[in-house]
Amino acid sequence: MRKFTKPTWLAIGWLGLMMFFSLFGWLLPLKSWSFVYEDDLEVGLFSSGHLLGTDSNGYDLLSSVVAGTRMSIFIAIAAVGLGGLIGSVLGIFAAYLRGKVDTVMVTVFNVGLSVPNLVLALALVSVLATNLDINQAVPTWRRVIVLVISLTIVLIPILGRIARGATLSWTSREFVTAARSMGMKDSKIILRHIVPNVLPALIAVAFLAVGVVIIAEASLSILGVGIPDGASWGGMIARGRNDLEYAPHVLYVPIVFLALTVISTNHLGDVVRSKLDSREAKV
Amino acid sequence: MSSLLSVKNMSINFDTPRGSLEAVRGVDIEIPAGTSVGVVGESGSGKTVMCRAAMGLLQGSNVKRSGTVIFDGHELTAMSKEEVRNLFGSGMAMIFQDPMTALNPVRRIGSQLSEGLRVRLGMSKADALVRSKELLELVRIPNAAAILKSFPYQLSGGMRQRVMIAIAIACNPKLLFADEPTTALDVTVQAQILQLLRELREDLKMSMVLVTHDLGVVAGNTDYVAVMYAGEIVEYAPTTKLFADMRMPYTEALLDSIPKIDHKSGTRLAMIAGRLPDPTDRGAGCSFAPRCKYAQEKCHKEHPELKKDPDGHLYRCWFPIGVAK
Repeated sequence: MRKFTKPTWLAIGWLGLMMFFSLFGWLLPLKSWSFVYEDDLEVGLFSSGHLLGTDSNGYDLLSSVVAGTRMSIFIAIAAVGLGGLIGSVLGIFAAYLRGKVDTVMVTVFNVGLSVPNLVLALALVSVLATNLDINQAVPTWRRVIVLVISLTIVLIPILGRIARGATLSWTSREFVTAARSMGMKDSKIILRHIVPNVLPALIAVAFLAVGVVIIAEASLSILGVGIPDGASWGGMIARGRNDLEYAPHVLYVPIVFLALTVISTNHLGDVVRSKLDSREAKV
Repeated sequence: MSSLLSVKNMSINFDTPRGSLEAVRGVDIEIPAGTSVGVVGESGSGKTVMCRAAMGLLQGSNVKRSGTVIFDGHELTAMSKEEVRNLFGSGMAMIFQDPMTALNPVRRIGSQLSEGLRVRLGMSKADALVRSKELLELVRIPNAAAILKSFPYQLSGGMRQRVMIAIAIACNPKLLFADEPTTALDVTVQAQILQLLRELREDLKMSMVLVTHDLGVVAGNTDYVAVMYAGEIVEYAPTTKLFADMRMPYTEALLDSIPKIDHKSGTRLAMIAGRLPDPTDRGAGCSFAPRCKYAQEKCHKEHPELKKDPDGHLYRCWFPIGVAK
């Protein structure tokens, strides 16, 4: 049970580092991520003073990427947490109650799934995060909240369906009938018998969803509706894309961070799922 | 003798894509207080559905139940879900068929066992755990303290079935439904479990409904037997009477299909040819007629009513065995 393979330890290590960056990155003795170093425009990797170099505007890439971690990870965890909570509550209730509630919920989920994720998020963000007065900039906090809400809406049907499916299969198990025959209330049965069994499946998918959300946030930023001013990984990629020809490292730094993080979450999701299967096999 | 549970004219239908499936058809059964009643029948004859419906455990929009169930003076079929729930555990309890699936795989035995005590009897967590340990000892589980902390997958089938029994008797029910409690177990463990049930029943003064497809299990453990076929009770009699003087050809066929120890080796096993009628399309005549070796024209055309001998022996047959025409 406690034995993990090397790639798994690497994935855990990398995600641990990312969590550290996002929580305590501001404590590190780094340069300011928002300061323009006019004397060091577009210096390469590993140059003195700027470990990962700077971009064509003179922003320090190491401090930018550490600061961007906070934004990207926060958005991912917030969206997956909210989406998972709402989705699993809806999914579990739908599957437990069956009947009309279930039919309505499945229809809602299917409609949600039929709209391409990025288009839905794009539409929501561009409607919710704009000012009537186009000369006035939208504050970043508002953009972040809108981004989290729209990504949550995208995630609800995905996680809700997983929760519903798992609940359906667990509700038909004999131990649920047994609990009912002991006079347990439905609320207690859901809480004590269904949720602990549905949770592992949800956690496995939640890991994958974190990866999806990080990429979605980056895509939206590149499209110009995400986090502005390079404050997230996507924002950095968006700002650096014009430098691709003559200073590719400006793009590669956030891309490598993003890619490693997404690979790590996907890998951990798979590990959780395989642990789940082996536990299932023993039952 | 007053009856603890009385089921009157109960029918259960399931709506399926192929039409209405009649799982149980107009069952009447009385469980006198302090007795053990066996329900026998082949797979798919509606035994389990009848028990679950009697307790009101069948859920879903496709289930239709009619008839009345009266338990200990309460008419369950007229009560709200909440009121029926209050009778569970301390009034009625059920032991389930498959000990492999009837325990929650992610929770420890202790928490599953003490749950009923805390919910139904309002015990504190500590008291419930102490009582749980006693219950495990009552069902002869050695090293009870360690088992309380184990997960179901760490136990063998027989142990899990004992845990199931402990959960069912935790709140001292008046009536215990044992739904094929020994089907998933091997023969030696079967004998132990049946012995245990018999003793517990005497000690705790429970009535029991023992559902099984094994006539051998019924023989030593019940006072009355109901034989079910195609969702109906086709014969009901005191156990000794049923074995000595059966009326239904189906009961006879069931008994004949048990291998005897004095059969010569190489003898073909007796069996009942054919299979249960399609539950979505019950014919007009006796359900057993197509497989019955005594079947006559009347059997195929008219559905037999339940007839009663003067001594209370019930049967559903036009041409019963051992009755002068």
